[in-house]
Amino acid sequence: MKPVVKNNIGVFSPQGFLDSNNNSAFLSIDDIDSTVKLKVDMILVSMKKVIFFNRNGLDVFIKLFAKIRKANHTIVGFCDYNQKQYDSIKKFYKNEMTFSLFKSIEIAYLFSSNFKDKDKKILIYSDDKHQRSAMAIELHNNGHYPIMTQSIEEFDKKRVNKDAYDYIISTTYLGEMGNMIASKVSGNAIIYTVVSYLDADINDTFNIQYHNNSLNVGFRLFIFEAYKVISMNVHALNFFSRLASAAAEYNATIAFVGLSFDKTPKAFKENLEDSGILFYDQMDDILENKELLKELGASSAANIKNKRTINKATVTELPRFIDATVATIEMMTNSKAVKEAAQVHNIEVKDKEDKIASSIGYYGDLDGMVILVFPTDIAKKACELLIGEETNDMELILDTLAELVNIVGGKIKTLLSDDNINVNITLPRTYQDIDSLLEVVQDKKGVQVDLSFDDNKFLFFLTR
Amino acid sequence: MVTKEEIDNFIQKIPPTPEVLKETISLLNIGELQKAATVAEGDLALKSYLKSIVNKPIYGFRNEVSDIGQIFGILGVSQSQQTVYNYMINLLSPDKWVLFKLNKKSFQELQANLSKKWTIILEYLNIDDKNITTSISLLPSSIIISEALFTKHAEDVNLLRGTKALDYNTILYRISGYTLFDICEQIADKWEMDKIISEILQSSSGLNISKDEDINKLAKWMHLLLFYELSQPVYVDAGLNDFIDFQIDYVSDIYDEFATLMDIS
Repeated sequence: MKPVVKNNIGVFSPQGFLDSNNNSAFLSIDDIDSTVKLKVDMILVSMKKVIFFNRNGLDVFIKLFAKIRKANHTIVGFCDYNQKQYDSIKKFYKNEMTFSLFKSIEIAYLFSSNFKDKDKKILIYSDDKHQRSAMAIELHNNGHYPIMTQSIEEFDKKRVNKDAYDYIISTTYLGEMGNMIASKVSGNAIIYTVVSYLDADINDTFNIQYHNNSLNVGFRLFIFEAYKVISMNVHALNFFSRLASAAAEYNATIAFVGLSFDKTPKAFKENLEDSGILFYDQMDDILENKELLKELGASSAANIKNKRTINKATVTELPRFIDATVATIEMMTNSKAVKEAAQVHNIEVKDKEDKIASSIGYYGDLDGMVILVFPTDIAKKACELLIGEETNDMELILDTLAELVNIVGGKIKTLLSDDNINVNITLPRTYQDIDSLLEVVQDKKGVQVDLSFDDNKFLFFLTR
Repeated sequence: MVTKEEIDNFIQKIPPTPEVLKETISLLNIGELQKAATVAEGDLALKSYLKSIVNKPIYGFRNEVSDIGQIFGILGVSQSQQTVYNYMINLLSPDKWVLFKLNKKSFQELQANLSKKWTIILEYLNIDDKNITTSISLLPSSIIISEALFTKHAEDVNLLRGTKALDYNTILYRISGYTLFDICEQIADKWEMDKIISEILQSSSGLNISKDEDINKLAKWMHLLLFYELSQPVYVDAGLNDFIDFQIDYVSDIYDEFATLMDIS
């Protein structure tokens, strides 16, 4: 059994009965190895469809959790359980609970540092006061507004007013949490949030693979949000200097926002500036300053010296990219997808109204980015198999479009490997309007192909 | 992905009930066990199947039973009919399984386990009806249908299921409007099985719940029994644990009785 990965969380969903008889059948050695290697925020086991389990049945997953924790800082645990299951798990492992328990996957998302939804009002209760505090701190660090209740009476009284809270958390338990540095995308910039004292641990907690992928797919501005950093030592200084040198090879910029030098040697600042790192007081000083963004390489009119263009290797493999897209659309819609004219130029989207887009990057033997642009209604049709119901929920549609482009990415990876070309794919990205897409790609030359299924036209764009 | 033509092709290729089996079943229906055994002896494959099934450990016979008359005598009318239908379903199974890690032996084992435990459930529920006894035989055909329709598309399905937790039944329904259980029903129709058999099976999906309380109750037991079996290591390993969605809420009211009956602790 393999986990399904969504929003950077991998979820196993066993069904039926989990006991000593069958536990090892759920996870083969291959399943364990591939899960340990996953670069995700959390690995969870959903208990939603488990009707019976005992301690022996869960042990195989507990062993997996231990291996994951040993290999990296991923949060591990169970989710989607009922009260009886929650009580049983706590009873089985009362003194060895290094893993977490999240009442639902939605609750787990709140504790994932990379989850896009922020600013949620969350009512919390746990009969363990340490747990209450731990949850409040984690949620606060993730950009939410936790409201702690000190007793079950207070909790019951407050929870009646459901509309006052976005989420209500009880029967949840935090085990060892991840300490990976949170990252988010804002326009064309990647923002990393660093806190407290920065030392050699940053080598482990910074996801260098994610950072390198972002460089590979064209991000040129990386901002460290450092309002809550107390100080740093020489190991952290060296780390940032190395990062800046590597970024320079891509003409990328690294900036710190909100870093105070009250307790950090002033010489460190000079060292970092010598490496090319910039310092700003407030995030808005950068993000709201279009001219500066342009200068730093994070706007559509970026003046990147070595602008990467579509190359021969990419054009040679173009049929694979188109085949992957066509095959995915045909699989999802059970209808014939047709390729129309292909042209090399900057992306051209006629009639920008009511259109959405999704992109996925790939890197390795080849690198670049595939973008799909759909009229919203046609995106819904293309995603019918994944959505499964009539909906106008734009968040759901965009989310599903990301799943679709993720499948396209998987298909590209497979088709290219047939030609002995090895690539990895990035996480998909969605754009709820064409302007936000153009901010990223309007200056990039690429191959534009008009595609259609059942006379529903959409656009494919391949660029670097 | 699976097209309507592929589904139609599969349905068209379901063979009609062979004459020997038809005659065996009609003789069993009127309680003529010996005459039915004499007819069944004429089909060597059926004879071999019956012997291999009833001599599995789950049937608990100390000495090997090899005479068909003796087998029908021991099983009685209802279970004999059930076993003959198991054989017919078995005829639809592929020579080589690809999508699921199964083989002839493990599939027959599944049929035997489901059948024997279904009989235990019916005894517990005080139900003695040959069509209800037989209804369990049709259930594993949903696995054969998945194998037949999805093997060609295995790579696509894996890609899809790596992105979203969709079971085969949901995928089939969303792309064709048919469920696996609709196709099972077509098999039942083609083999002129009693209507109640398809009704129990449809309801046992946990999605198309019967308004008939009695059928609904049986369907719940069948749904839970299926997932009890699909939680056995050999079937988890075969990739069957999540081939359809377990509707846990559908069976929650009978779980305690089921656990007691199956001695689950």
